[in-house]
Amino acid sequence: MARKQYDNPKAEMTPMIDVVFQLMIFFIVTIKQEDIFSKLNANRPAPNASSAQSEENDTQIKIDIGPRGVVFNGRGMSFKMLDDNIKKLAASSTKSTVLVRCTLDSPHGFLVHVLDICNKYKMYNLSIFSM
Amino acid sequence: MAKSRNEDVSLDMTPMIDVVFQLIIFFVVTLKMSDDKDSTIKLADGKNGIVLTQEELPPSQLTIDVAASGRVSMSNITMSDAMIVDAVKKRVNAYGTDFPCMIRADKTTPHKHVAKVMNLCAAAGMWKVSFVAIQEHKANK
Repeated sequence: MARKQYDNPKAEMTPMIDVVFQLMIFFIVTIKQEDIFSKLNANRPAPNASSAQSEENDTQIKIDIGPRGVVFNGRGMSFKMLDDNIKKLAASSTKSTVLVRCTLDSPHGFLVHVLDICNKYKMYNLSIFSM
Repeated sequence: MAKSRNEDVSLDMTPMIDVVFQLIIFFVVTLKMSDDKDSTIKLADGKNGIVLTQEELPPSQLTIDVAASGRVSMSNITMSDAMIVDAVKKRVNAYGTDFPCMIRADKTTPHKHVAKVMNLCAAAGMWKVSFVAIQEHKANK
């Protein structure tokens, strides 16, 4: 009798296929693409800002970030204008240090935007100060 | 003759089941249960940064999340200031200052919260930090 059962293997496939399709649909639906991330490197000099301020030289570029926008060379400007200015400066030298000074209430998005512009023109000497 | 063929329908299922299992295994393997980060954070755009691929990140990397509310967390666990310093110090002791220390901050986070985290990292000896931004949007909102 056991022999006979073995000879006639008529396994019921339908439930297995049902389950397998359910699983497949679940995984297709739950899968979602991730954003592509980038990283922006910067330096955070030691908290005692006095030592950093004292070694100022003329190759430093200072960008101030406030709660409403950026100030560069004492002028408030849009990110587009800042982009143009950095482009000009980067054309002469990309070695100069960029000091980014943020007020405490400025949104982090502005800082990332400024760092992004500096990265665009290959200025990698970035220091962030808070004030 | 056509009638007889219809009655004797014995479709070979094996290839189909093989393919379906392959698909399932593919989706199971590629599925990432990504709740190891603060999902409330909306990153800013950074199209010109260095592309960050999860696979290339060394295991020494440290990611600190800063939500818009100022909540500081690592692996979605809220951290106090002392805990952050501790965690960074451990990495500095183990790997020197060459490991990637990344700050994932929401674009609306006030700078004071990010500054606090940077100061904590600096206090632990880690003065090179990176900010994570979005190079290209892929996830549908």
